[in-house]
Amino acid sequence: MLEFIGRFHPLLVHLPIGILLLACFFDLLAMRPDYAQLRSVVPLMLLIGFISALLSSISGFLLSGATDYDEDLVLYHQWLGIGTTVMAGILFSLHKKGSSSSRWGTILLVLLITITGHFGGTLTHGEGYLTEGLGGAVETGPVLDSVPNIQQMAVYNGLVQPIFEARCVGCHGDSKQKGGLRLDGEEWILEGGEDGPILPDPKDGENSEGEMIKRLLLPLEAKKHMPPKAKSQLTQEEISLLHWWVRSGAPFNKKVGEMEQDGKMKTVLKALASGKSAGGPEASVSDLLPSEPVAPAPATAVERLRDAGVMVLPLAQNSNYLSVSFLSAQRTDDSIFQTLEELKPQLVWLKLDDMKLSPQTIKSLSTLVNLRKLSLSGSSITDADLNALQQLKQLRSLNLSATAITVAGLQSIKALTHLRELYLYKTTIKTTDWPALQQTFPKVNIDTGNYRLPMLPGDTSEVKLN
Amino acid sequence: MTHKHDHAQRLLKEAEAAELRNHTRRHFLKESAMGLGSLAIGSLLGAWGCGNAASKTNPLSQVAFDPAHPLLPKSPPFLGKARSVIYLHMAGAPSQLELFDFKPELAKMDGQDCPPSLLAGKQFAFIRGVPKMLGPQAKFAQHGESRAWISEHLPHFSTVADEVSFLKAVTTDQFNHAPAQLLMHTGSPRLGRPSMGSWVTYGLGTENQNLPGFVVLTSGGSFPDAGKSVWGSGFLPSVYQGVQCRSEGDPVLFINDPAGMNRDLRKASIDAINAANLQEYNEYNDPEILSRISQYEMAYRMQISAPEVMNINNEPDYIHEMYGTQPGKSCFANNALLARKLVEKGVRYVQLFDWGWDAHGDNAGNALNLGIINKYRSVDKAMTALLLDLKQRGLLEETLVVWGGEFGRTPMMENRNGAQNPFKGRDHHTEAFTIWMAGGGIKKGYTHGETDEIGYSAVSGKVEAYDIQATILHQLGFNHEEFTYPFQGRPFRLTDVGGKVISQVVS
Repeated sequence: MLEFIGRFHPLLVHLPIGILLLACFFDLLAMRPDYAQLRSVVPLMLLIGFISALLSSISGFLLSGATDYDEDLVLYHQWLGIGTTVMAGILFSLHKKGSSSSRWGTILLVLLITITGHFGGTLTHGEGYLTEGLGGAVETGPVLDSVPNIQQMAVYNGLVQPIFEARCVGCHGDSKQKGGLRLDGEEWILEGGEDGPILPDPKDGENSEGEMIKRLLLPLEAKKHMPPKAKSQLTQEEISLLHWWVRSGAPFNKKVGEMEQDGKMKTVLKALASGKSAGGPEASVSDLLPSEPVAPAPATAVERLRDAGVMVLPLAQNSNYLSVSFLSAQRTDDSIFQTLEELKPQLVWLKLDDMKLSPQTIKSLSTLVNLRKLSLSGSSITDADLNALQQLKQLRSLNLSATAITVAGLQSIKALTHLRELYLYKTTIKTTDWPALQQTFPKVNIDTGNYRLPMLPGDTSEVKLN
Repeated sequence: MTHKHDHAQRLLKEAEAAELRNHTRRHFLKESAMGLGSLAIGSLLGAWGCGNAASKTNPLSQVAFDPAHPLLPKSPPFLGKARSVIYLHMAGAPSQLELFDFKPELAKMDGQDCPPSLLAGKQFAFIRGVPKMLGPQAKFAQHGESRAWISEHLPHFSTVADEVSFLKAVTTDQFNHAPAQLLMHTGSPRLGRPSMGSWVTYGLGTENQNLPGFVVLTSGGSFPDAGKSVWGSGFLPSVYQGVQCRSEGDPVLFINDPAGMNRDLRKASIDAINAANLQEYNEYNDPEILSRISQYEMAYRMQISAPEVMNINNEPDYIHEMYGTQPGKSCFANNALLARKLVEKGVRYVQLFDWGWDAHGDNAGNALNLGIINKYRSVDKAMTALLLDLKQRGLLEETLVVWGGEFGRTPMMENRNGAQNPFKGRDHHTEAFTIWMAGGGIKKGYTHGETDEIGYSAVSGKVEAYDIQATILHQLGFNHEEFTYPFQGRPFRLTDVGGKVISQVVS
């Protein structure tokens, strides 16, 4: 019964908040001669506010015993709530006596209501609920960074607990224990939640995976799926790690190397060791885009380029980095390229396929030091021009197909340490040049193209149908 | 005053009343409540400096729909790895059991009666009663570093196994061709929704203003069963519907000026039509009229650009050999080569349909061991060449290639209406089939999903059409849940209320 009354707390609290805030507002407003008549209603409002605050405090006290909120937060909220009630009572009696010097008391009451309310909100909605709306990014990337010495790593402290920390402890931890479950320590994990243990009972044999894994594996739409749909989800690798840990009897003090590893687990661990764990799309995409923000490009320069038929487009709606393509450019004189120089900080992807590049153009091009992806396929670029492009230190992908580039010319860009893709289809470079090229560019994927498919009998004949 | 003046007054009043009738209660509620409300909230947020998503958007990114330039390139909401899509649809639904899904257990059951557990409560398009099981009609081997299982029917494609991601457990809920094709491409088995290519060109525009943004190429002698609705624009502005082009003869029908009409005269007539349309627009303000004007202008530009881009004859011989084209004919290989040329020239979405994969075995032409083998041969080399050709040009990293049918085929041999079919064939099957994706930020040499021992249903990594659509949109830089279009009073999206990005195949 008492708990039932307690459940009215979230409803009741809104009464004192509204009534007392309005009372304070009227009280302050009444200091202006125009609104002096408001003074007469303030005591009554304070009285009603005080009574509702009292009821809220009582119901709140009953609620606090019944559910598993963060104890510290509850204590703050409780004492501030009581303080608010008392303050409302004091103000009421002051007004009753006709004392008019209660302005500071009024302001204090407003502050008390605000802070108490904030703690109350934090209790129900969770920490950070308010500031989430400001656009703080929800962390969704993988939790575990590359771990070179993975076999020596403690499996619980090094792998399992960090996953819990990042994905679960927000609701199942020190400040909140949804479902009566805590995942921030061995004893609590073994204890389980209000629905029972989360790890499988050894008596059930190998087929039981336990409640935790079961809920992780439920489809996202399922009501009992964990984490809830709106929260950041575990990656496949993280789930397989947890699954593996549970399957192996959930040891708390073993090292990775001491546990049995099947083929699938070996690949997951290997990927983790090399830092190539399912990085998600962002991890690799971001490499084609600088991570630090940049100021917007000058609109006039963009306009001039667009007028010439050049496509200038931000890589994404929320980014100032630009991609530029001359695919359907109508004018390509030197002044257009000089305009390009104005976009130097923003310009990361550039397509100049089939273009005639004057010495002046090459000079402009060599200033675009933020370029990450450059396609010069079919352009008039020469070995000498390439020399100028060694300034483009950020290049990740360079397309020189169908150009007059030679092996000797490529030597001048060997210092481009970030380069990963190099396209050399339809150049003078032959497969016999491969060993030399691979020595010059050990980290680069070189594609000389010229793929041929053999002529197989089936390619030109048909199966007879009769 | 005069009678005439009275008349004019009356007309004016009538016009005013007519206009007022256009302002319904709905308008009032919408404009007063929402209008004022959002104005207030907007200014409030602005004053606090937190702002909304829109204020963070780069003004240069051209997000809004501009009816006068509907196909201008636009930025995606997020950085996407793919800039264009080539979707190879094998209409009629190829058999996963003869190409990618190797099931030795099924071979052991060949000729036996189908266990009743596989039939209880199931519905098939043609199978009635108890059919016999049919073992794989192909030899399989593992290929590449990824050890992907591919059958002897695709000897060329086996060499590029390490370039693609296989989805082995795709499912659908439609066992007839037309609804299943519609579901795959429009997100609904019923007519009326925009196709994926329309959504993509609506969201991203296209990089070449002299060519359509969404091109459709068909081969195999027939249209897909769902007809032109699989590339329709649904409720999106009609400018986003797929433009069907041909790889032989005129690339676009009637693109050449007729005899006696020179280019100046053509220009003059288009100018005149557009002037009339503009007048109409000024009167009615219908944005579709602006789209129409821009379409006329594009058609005029296309007269110059399209014949050149769409002519595959100016490609070198070795490229023709690689694709196995048949000049002058309408075939998949020609279309595949054309698809590469179009993407190279900035076309956003190229949709290929190849008809004739419906391997029922009710005649020799669609028997798994006869006619269908000719289908394998007609696509194997061309689709392999397409991947390699895109790769050597540096286009594969930004072009997403998708291959698949609208559903799969049963592990049982079809017994149409209870009687054994004369040839080896399989019925339509919804519970498991294979689709592969490559390029555009998709993992190389990866297999996602698994079917049971006989390839009847998915046991892990099950995905459906919505998931594939969500993944395609994701690779292009969209969150499929937020990419919507308002229609009939609610926002619509390609993936309806489903879809989850298949993150396992994203690199």
